[in-house]
Amino acid sequence: MSAVPARRAPFDRVSLLALPALGYLTLVYALPIIWLLLRSVTGPHGFTLQPLASFLSDPFNWRVIGNTLKIAGLVTLVCLVIGYPTAFALAWSRGWAQVVLLSAIILPLSVGVVVKAFAWQIVLRRDGVVSSALTTLGLAEEPVRLLFTETGLVLGAANVFLPFMILPIYSVVKLIDARLLEAGATLGAGPLYRFHRITLPLTMPGVVTGIAFVFSLSVSMFVIPSLLIGDRYQTLATLTGRSFLLMRNEQLGSTTATVLLVLAVSVVVAAALVARRVGRSG
Amino acid sequence: MDAFLEIAGAERSFGPARVLGGVDLAVASGEFVSLLGPSGCGKTTLLRIVAGLLAPDAGTVRLDGVDITGKPPHHRDVGVVFQSYALFPHLTVAENVAFGLEARRAPRAEIRAAVSRFLELVHMSELADRSVRALSGGQQQRVAVARALAVRPKLLLLDEPFSALDRKLRETMQIELKRLLRELSITAVFVTHDQDEALMMSDRIAVMNRGAIEQLADPLTVYHRPASAFVLGFVGLSSRIHGVAGAPSDDGFVTVATALGPVRARGTAAPGAAVFVAIRPERMFLSAPGGGAESIAATLRDVVFQGSKVQLHFAGTGADQIVVETAQLPPSGFEIGQPVRISFAAEDALVFPAEVAR
Repeated sequence: MSAVPARRAPFDRVSLLALPALGYLTLVYALPIIWLLLRSVTGPHGFTLQPLASFLSDPFNWRVIGNTLKIAGLVTLVCLVIGYPTAFALAWSRGWAQVVLLSAIILPLSVGVVVKAFAWQIVLRRDGVVSSALTTLGLAEEPVRLLFTETGLVLGAANVFLPFMILPIYSVVKLIDARLLEAGATLGAGPLYRFHRITLPLTMPGVVTGIAFVFSLSVSMFVIPSLLIGDRYQTLATLTGRSFLLMRNEQLGSTTATVLLVLAVSVVVAAALVARRVGRSG
Repeated sequence: MDAFLEIAGAERSFGPARVLGGVDLAVASGEFVSLLGPSGCGKTTLLRIVAGLLAPDAGTVRLDGVDITGKPPHHRDVGVVFQSYALFPHLTVAENVAFGLEARRAPRAEIRAAVSRFLELVHMSELADRSVRALSGGQQQRVAVARALAVRPKLLLLDEPFSALDRKLRETMQIELKRLLRELSITAVFVTHDQDEALMMSDRIAVMNRGAIEQLADPLTVYHRPASAFVLGFVGLSSRIHGVAGAPSDDGFVTVATALGPVRARGTAAPGAAVFVAIRPERMFLSAPGGGAESIAATLRDVVFQGSKVQLHFAGTGADQIVVETAQLPPSGFEIGQPVRISFAAEDALVFPAEVAR
């Protein structure tokens, strides 16, 4: 049994099968993005960094960037903390338990984001279930309003994006050979050491995918913050939307969109690099 | 014998299926014992109980004078070489071997020394920095052995470690492993369903069937004096001649009336009982009549040339199976379809109760 991959021809005719997808994505995705990127560095007299410079010189915009990163970071963190153990429960459960868990994770994906966001509005209101639960349990002295707060936004967004964290991790957990952990145990490794040196590194690819999914989804979400925190709290995505739809300021819109894109891509790449180091040192 | 590993009354069921029914086994320090049996006989279950990967329903496991029945695997000092090797795919060869020592927080210098020593013992030094994913089956097996030995376990368990290798490589690895374990004087328990492997590697063999040990003895005894018809059938080939037991004599022999004539054989049986006489094919000889040995006449049906030996198949009645192995092709005069006299010593013929038709 040799694991050495066969030498591949530089061009494989099978890859022609990807042409329709490639054409579609080029047309409706790559070209508009390139146009947007060009738009952000083009002024009346050609190439200019002036819009970007003026955007970055406004402290309000820095607060917007801060809001964006904070919310996306928190949503990703909440999804990771909840999703990681859930993925194991899903992968290691059997029979009915697994069917129930899997449906609980997949079915909500069929409910639209707008519907979910409205539902969270009701849940997070001052007279909503969260508030009354907190007061009943004595954890709050008077009704609390979580709607239009950062906490409420993070709660709602984490709920919407949780499957995108669980499913990639689940798919790698399922591939882990249980014998590896047994081998670790017979070599004298206790449960914590086995987790740290075997399970964690082997699940890292799933974690990276999950983080990339959830972070890029939550850094660019528009509907959920619009409904759960409102106009007074701006993120790069909502600001981009406002610039195009409300203010009709395409220059500002393309600048914020470019900043957003750069931020999202660099955070995802950084996460992948960090994860690869964890995987290798593990 | 001073028992180093002592299993007493080990029982285990999976649901309604009783896989182990009260097994006792004692292994001396430095000994190599094989658990030999068909799949489903409970040998792997017994191995996993010793490793601590499975809890027995009843019974105890003692190692080096300590009861380890309730101990988790990582506190047992029992190394395991898995059938699938179970190498850590995200680590290099050297990192795999270092894993156990690192888990025990051994000093760095000691780890480095142990890794290079054990990789050298299994001839894998050159590939130390390779990813284990890039190794062949035989190389993976070597790394798995080095990894298990590097922590200097009190006991090494091997679960069919050669079954994934092709035949030629398997024989090389078997000899290599046996030599290595003897040099390090490691106590080892080895699970296999391959009788040749068990015969060539073991100090003693425990032949298992349906969750029990049918015979525990050295390879020679298991082969030449099988304790039951099951052991006889599982280990090696034998001729079987059915008949009816006569009166036993005092020296432990019985005369069996067969369709091919009366045959004296070792063993006991009630007079009149249906029995069969078993003789190993290489202990039967083509001969002229007489000579004091037992002899029968049978019709030659097939001559099978197998390189280093020749098998002669004879026609028998009913469930009889008569096979003679010789070193050379028989001289001319032995024609297929002709009756041939076959002789053997009564000491090499064993009496077993006839098996009920399946």
